[in-house]
This record gives sequence, C-alpha cells and structure tokens, in this order.
Amino acid sequence: MNARGDSREDSSLVRDVPAATVAAHELKAPLALIRQLGYELGREDATYAERRELTEQIIRVSEKALRVTSNITRADTLSRTLFELEPVNSIDVARDACRELKPLYELHSRRLTIGRMQKLPPVIANRDLLRRILVNFADNALHYSGAEGVVELQAQLSRSQDVVRLAVRDYGPAMTKRQWSRLVESLHGRQPVHARPQSSGLGIYISDQFAKNMNASIGAIRHRDGASFYVELPVSRQLTLL
Amino acid sequence: MNQGRVVVVEDDELLAGIFLRVLRRNGYEAYHALHAASAIDVIDDAQPAVILLDVLLAGTTALTLLHELRSHADLAEIPIVLATNLADQISLDDVQSYGVKRILDKTTMYPDDIITAVRSAML
Repeated sequence: MNARGDSREDSSLVRDVPAATVAAHELKAPLALIRQLGYELGREDATYAERRELTEQIIRVSEKALRVTSNITRADTLSRTLFELEPVNSIDVARDACRELKPLYELHSRRLTIGRMQKLPPVIANRDLLRRILVNFADNALHYSGAEGVVELQAQLSRSQDVVRLAVRDYGPAMTKRQWSRLVESLHGRQPVHARPQSSGLGIYISDQFAKNMNASIGAIRHRDGASFYVELPVSRQLTLL
Repeated sequence: MNQGRVVVVEDDELLAGIFLRVLRRNGYEAYHALHAASAIDVIDDAQPAVILLDVLLAGTTALTLLHELRSHADLAEIPIVLATNLADQISLDDVQSYGVKRILDKTTMYPDDIITAVRSAML
C-alpha cells in the first residue's frame, strides 16, 4: 500500500512488509487455535459433550479464518472485476452481518445486536462489499465487548441527509492515546495500517479497499468506553421501494 | 494435589479455556484474565506462582503489563511464561529482565508444554 493507502498495485499492506506476510500473520492465530482445539478433541477421556463443543469451536474458528482468506482474494480481484453499485437497504445488510456472526459471538458468550436505527434512505453500495466491511468490523470487535458482552451495530443519517453512517460500536478496554493516534493516522493514509494491538490491521486495510471501491469511506471514533468503527456511504437519490 | 496457582492472561477465550483445562487437569489452580486491564486485579487476588501471558492482547500489550507488574513490589517477582504466536520474533534474552522464564510458541506447542514450562518457571 502506498502512503495514501489507495494503491491496488502495490502489494504491501504495511511498509516494507509484503502482503503475504501480513496475511500469514493474520491467519496464524486461528490456525494455532484450531490445532490446539484438535489436540483437545483427540483426548481419549474427552466426553461426548466436550467433543461436540470442541467440534463447534473448530468449525467457527475455521469459518473466521476462511473469511480472512475470502476477503483477501476479494480485495485482490477488485481492480479486475466489475461489481454492481445499486441502491441498498443498509439496515438489511447490517442484519445480514449480524446473522453471519451470531454463531461466533454465541460461542464466546457475546452478543452482537442491532442498535437503534431510524428509518434510513437506501445507500449506493455493493451489498457484498458492505456486508464484508461490517463483518470485518464486528469480527474485530469481538474481543472488545466489555463486561456486558455486547457489541452494537448502529446506523444514522448525516445532518445533511446525504450520507449514512453504519458503525460497529464496542465497549471494550479503551485504546491508549498512542494506539489511537496510530490508528487514526492509518485511516487517513499517513501511516501503515494498524488496528488494535493484537491485529495486523489487515481487516481495516481490506475494509478501506472495499469502501473506496464504493465511493465510501471508513473511520473510527474513540469513546471513553470503547470505540466505533464506521463506514460512510452516499445516499441514493433514486426513488426505490427498498 | 494442588501444584500451585497460575493466572492465564489471554484474550482469546477459546484458547484460554484450553490452557485452563490443561492446567486444572494437572492439579493447578488456574485463573483467567481476559485483558491486561483486568489482569492486575486477578493477579493481585490470586497471588499466583506463575503467570502465563499472551503477548498481543486486546487493549494493551503484554509489555505494558510486564512494566506494571515490575512496579508492584509484591508482584514483581512472579515468574512469567509468555505464550505467543510471535515466538520467532522474541528473544528470551530481551525479556528476561521482566521476569520472563520461558517462551511458548503457540503455533508449535503441544498442550503438555504448558505444564513443562510452568514447572520450569517455578523452579
């Protein structure tokens, strides 16, 4: 990625670090976890209930890893394939993202909820890319759901009524000022992309690529009790029954 | 027989669950802290013989926690075992001054390696 973070030709996500290295880093954690779960599953004294639970965990962690690979390949083909931008009901997409991640959240005894959403006009977007952005944000927020275990998907219309903001609000431990500065600089393209400490930032980088291809943008807000990662999309002026 | 107390600081609950089960099966009293932010309280309450610490934690890094532990006189001497996916990038020599006795590579370790590492750290 170049300094502005908008080149699809440059393959490195973090300066001087090849994309393949970042992707490998991102896949390390789920693969290492699947391996450990496999050893647990293979224990001779594991009960039937434990085996069922471990199998479910292996499936969900594998799905998470597969989402990473699917996003990487999707991002790679963005410049070569045509994709449709159309009026999209953003709340429907938020619900889809919520449904997709529900099993993973339940596995971690967490809840991903749809927050208060006013009636919104349709946005100009690609449904698949928008869903992937929200899933990326919510996937990352899983570890930041705070004591209540809740992460919320929120939507709002800008005052000027021309932009819809879809946000994933978490309530986890606050980032330090330094971490936050790095993240904000990343989002503004002045620095290599970094997310939170345990992340390579690949999810945010890919979300940024998806957003740019829809003429949308991503951003983040730091709260006293967590953070919101959001995507802003232009409102469709086309009359629709969505 | 109680082998001693171990606090596991790990932000992935599934992995933490495995570590806790392995430790408990082997007679250790195991406690879990999900974030570095809550770790000091858990460690303070449990007064463990060993801390098993992930490096890349949600919210803050293990290094910050290690600094903080060193600043508490009663916690500074607790031996640390790092369990990390970044083991190939961390040298024991660089972290020994923080009380780190062993580094476990999560990508290659076997479940029983936790016990070997904890035992060795307690020596």
